[in-house]
Amino acid sequence: MAEFTQLLFSGLAVGMVYALIALGFVVVWKSSSVANLALGQIVLLSSWFTYGMLVQAGLPPLLGFPVVILFALLLGWLIERVALRPLIAQPILSLITVTLGIAYFIEGVVTFIWPWSVDALPRLFPQEPVRIGLAVVSQEYIWVAGISLVAFAGLTAFYKYHKMGIAMRATADDQLAVQACGIPVTKIFSRSWMFACVVAALGGVLISSIGGITYGLVETGLKAFSVVILGGLDSFLGAIIAGPVIGLAESLGGGYLTPYLWAGVKDIIPFVIIIIVMLIRPYGLFGEERIERI
Amino acid sequence: MSLPSGMRSMTYAQDMAILRTKTHWTLFIGFLIVLFTLPLYLGSYWLGVANLIGITLIAATGLNILIGYCGQLSIGHAGFIAVGAYTSAVLTNRFGLPFLVGLICAGFMSGIIGLIFGIPSVRVKGFYLAITTIAAQFIIIWVINHWDITGGFVGIRVPYASIGGYVLRSASSQFYLIMGIAALSIFFAKNIARTRLGRALIAVRDNDLAAEVMGINLFYYKMLAFFIGCFMAGIAGSLMAHWIGFMTTEHFTLAESILYIAMIIIGGLGTTLGPILGVVFIRLLQQVLTVQVVPFLEGTKLLPAGFASGVTPMLFGLVIILFLILEPRGLAHRWNLFKAAYRLWPFSY
Amino acid sequence: MKKAIILGAILLAVMLAILPACATSTAGKVLKVGIMTPSTGPAAEKGSPMGHANLDAFEYINTELGGIEGYKVEVIWLDSAYDSAKVATIINRFMDEGALIWGTASSKEGAAAMEIANRAEFPGVVAFTSPVLYRPPQHIYGQLPDYGDDWAAFANYYMQNIWKGPGKPKMALHLLNNPTGYGARDAARALADKIGIEIVSVDEHTTTTTSEVESLTRIKAKNPDVIYISSTPAPTAVIIKNAYELGLYKPGAAGSVTIGLGHASITKALVDIAGANIVEGVYGVYPTVNWTDDVPGMAKVKEYVRKLHPKDEGNMDYITSWAQSMIIAEALRLAVKNVGYNKLAKGGVEAWRLVEKEGIQKLKNYDVGGLHGPVSYSPGDNRLSKSVRVFQIRNGTITPVSDWIDAPVIEYEKFDWFGK
Repeated sequence: MAEFTQLLFSGLAVGMVYALIALGFVVVWKSSSVANLALGQIVLLSSWFTYGMLVQAGLPPLLGFPVVILFALLLGWLIERVALRPLIAQPILSLITVTLGIAYFIEGVVTFIWPWSVDALPRLFPQEPVRIGLAVVSQEYIWVAGISLVAFAGLTAFYKYHKMGIAMRATADDQLAVQACGIPVTKIFSRSWMFACVVAALGGVLISSIGGITYGLVETGLKAFSVVILGGLDSFLGAIIAGPVIGLAESLGGGYLTPYLWAGVKDIIPFVIIIIVMLIRPYGLFGEERIERI
Repeated sequence: MSLPSGMRSMTYAQDMAILRTKTHWTLFIGFLIVLFTLPLYLGSYWLGVANLIGITLIAATGLNILIGYCGQLSIGHAGFIAVGAYTSAVLTNRFGLPFLVGLICAGFMSGIIGLIFGIPSVRVKGFYLAITTIAAQFIIIWVINHWDITGGFVGIRVPYASIGGYVLRSASSQFYLIMGIAALSIFFAKNIARTRLGRALIAVRDNDLAAEVMGINLFYYKMLAFFIGCFMAGIAGSLMAHWIGFMTTEHFTLAESILYIAMIIIGGLGTTLGPILGVVFIRLLQQVLTVQVVPFLEGTKLLPAGFASGVTPMLFGLVIILFLILEPRGLAHRWNLFKAAYRLWPFSY
Repeated sequence: MKKAIILGAILLAVMLAILPACATSTAGKVLKVGIMTPSTGPAAEKGSPMGHANLDAFEYINTELGGIEGYKVEVIWLDSAYDSAKVATIINRFMDEGALIWGTASSKEGAAAMEIANRAEFPGVVAFTSPVLYRPPQHIYGQLPDYGDDWAAFANYYMQNIWKGPGKPKMALHLLNNPTGYGARDAARALADKIGIEIVSVDEHTTTTTSEVESLTRIKAKNPDVIYISSTPAPTAVIIKNAYELGLYKPGAAGSVTIGLGHASITKALVDIAGANIVEGVYGVYPTVNWTDDVPGMAKVKEYVRKLHPKDEGNMDYITSWAQSMIIAEALRLAVKNVGYNKLAKGGVEAWRLVEKEGIQKLKNYDVGGLHGPVSYSPGDNRLSKSVRVFQIRNGTITPVSDWIDAPVIEYEKFDWFGK
């Protein structure tokens, strides 16, 4: 029983981390129907930049974090302007491939500026683990979960009530109609990418303060895809709920199935979930089904 | 195709021919002669590069049929190549079957696995299918790593390819084998493109709902595209296994899959020439960067430590992005423009 | 505008391709050595200093020792980026360019190049090895004891010095999912019963894992006495941190498990990533000396690292690769002494066979300046150096707690579960 609660809580905690990254993906999808396959690398780059600011340049956190946010805004603007603006009306393969190209490029930039592949951020949260019943959870995870929920609430409110948020949803739905209404579509794309990069940066900073900065951030980004697929590509609620679900599946599946199957089952669970979701309910738990007409 | 002025096609066969004029035939036969005499004057390093290009070409042609002709986005191709490689390795190493059996089985195994993971393509497309294929690749690699018979993480030794008692030991004998199969697969792909099957696939790509309305069985053709694409990947994998000699899953990463997509896009989607150009371009770029540029930069000691290491992925990413922005139809399109300009010179503008 | 960009790109590509050819090539009689390191890519934190060390050592040999028996060494250095496909082409290039012997850093690169080199009889030395590279022994030589030997050495040390109870201690293995980890598993499978240890669980993890709480929860339920982790610094840090959080590992307290590490993890990087207070008291095995050990070869190592690559000082892998270059040089020296330069200059299979038989296989008690255990070749065993030392992390520094222990030969290929 002690095992179960431990696995339960650590699964939930890790799942909230996935959910946070998934939010960044949903932001881009909700605004422009572009799949951001460079998500993991953007998280990586933001984490390294944070390292650069906090450790290499020695800025205090109060000064360093706003700089990181500015950097994320700049990064989002740059990506959208340079790589995505010229491809506005192209088929989806081109868009996906361009994000793959961006992913490659960012990996190269990271290796270029910080050639040593592993490092640690200064600890942002207190270290002592918290006891919940018989389970032990690192306090950092609880902070991450809390911040994710705050981000989720903020994003949902923005998209529902704020003018820009509504405009973004309209753009994702039908670009032509939005242009006919006089809303500058290019500005909307720009803003949504900047947003997404800020969310990704936030996620990256939180995760790397727990586990250090490694290429694992890219793999966590891949697992965020499974969260997004399960929850629905355009739903924040889906991301927040599917995140812990995937985390739980990994944790409990890994904990209980491993003795019967092979070691390492934990790693494959998110991907098996993707395949299952694709076969049963392709649009995810909360996603909107796209109705296609000729 | 555009022909020189004055040439007319009088029969259907003439119209459909791949090589139409005498110039075409001469150039083509000349090219073949040069290609098949390469082993005479290339060292084993460049022969190795040529072998790698040949193997990649077979897989890329398959991927082109899947993505370029049928429009099914698949970013998991390295996984299907792995299936072929390991099938061949296991059959020849653990069961002692001859190489040709391993080769054919590799193709079929890969095709069947491709069929299985291609089933979601009936329900989803675009990005959803892309994610499914990424998941497929991870699952395939994971299964290979954890199955004892494949040697798991440690790897498996692959014996030499041997055809009917003749063991292909040297790089040049493998070169002939690989290039021969590559030529066959390109011919196969070209023929698919000009027949009913190819037209059906293109219809599915352009608008699958309309195609279904017209009477094209979506399920059948999408599955067929997956099967053919993955069959060729399996063949390529088998050849790769016997060429390298020791197989681990490290060869089949997500980065490789992304590189394949880049190859066919840079080369030109939906054309037969496209994969050839794309593969040659990317593999040669890789070789130039690895072998010439990086040691040169490191040797100069002038530049900061990360420069050389970061330059390769940066350059690749940049190449992908630039090609997509500036020339989305790829090198094949440029080649066609060049041919047209040549024909119309001095009036080409 | 578009044309200008395309034209510029083509020009750049052409320039990049031509530039290196303009570099002057060394004329005269040289001995060519091929060195391949993963200086970029996922293993860069180990590969980059190792590449630097290889080159620095040969620089030292060429400038201060006047080369090998008067002949300069020409190093063909290529970066494998820890990519197996690249390794295959690089090894072909070495053979083409007339290299007499090759050296590389990791077991993954060794495995990727293995068949090609073995088929061509092109001898090579691999620093960090795993049993599959040289069981059965062919033309690849391991510079240092492999991950399986690490396990055997630690297991012996544990039984003799740490385990104080009656009966068999319970050990849990936590392995990286590549030859690094599985080398330890293979050794455990072969020797655990003989040494008297009970393996209660085998778990694996990836290089990029961020949390191992669930596997450690399972391990904790089995109540092990010792956990052996065969991995690289980053995931090891995660595991130890999680073990600390779960209360499984309590540094300095009684009733805590003992943690032992393979040589790929017990480096300064681990202490930095995990935090010195968490890894306090962790044991590990390492086959070379420390930077603080005062051995004859260390002076030159320190001099060159400070001169050429000051950032690499303190990195244990630098010592390993420096030693590798010294061993390669010694093997070539013996070969040149025994058969003369002219027989070797031709390159090709005959030269390689001579380098192997009269060079590598004639290595006897070469002390490598004391940088690691003495290097000798014994028939049937392609490991050149067979001894390791046990270290413990005390107050954030890695301090040796034992003398050189020899690792016995394990004939893995006799077991039918061993991948052939």
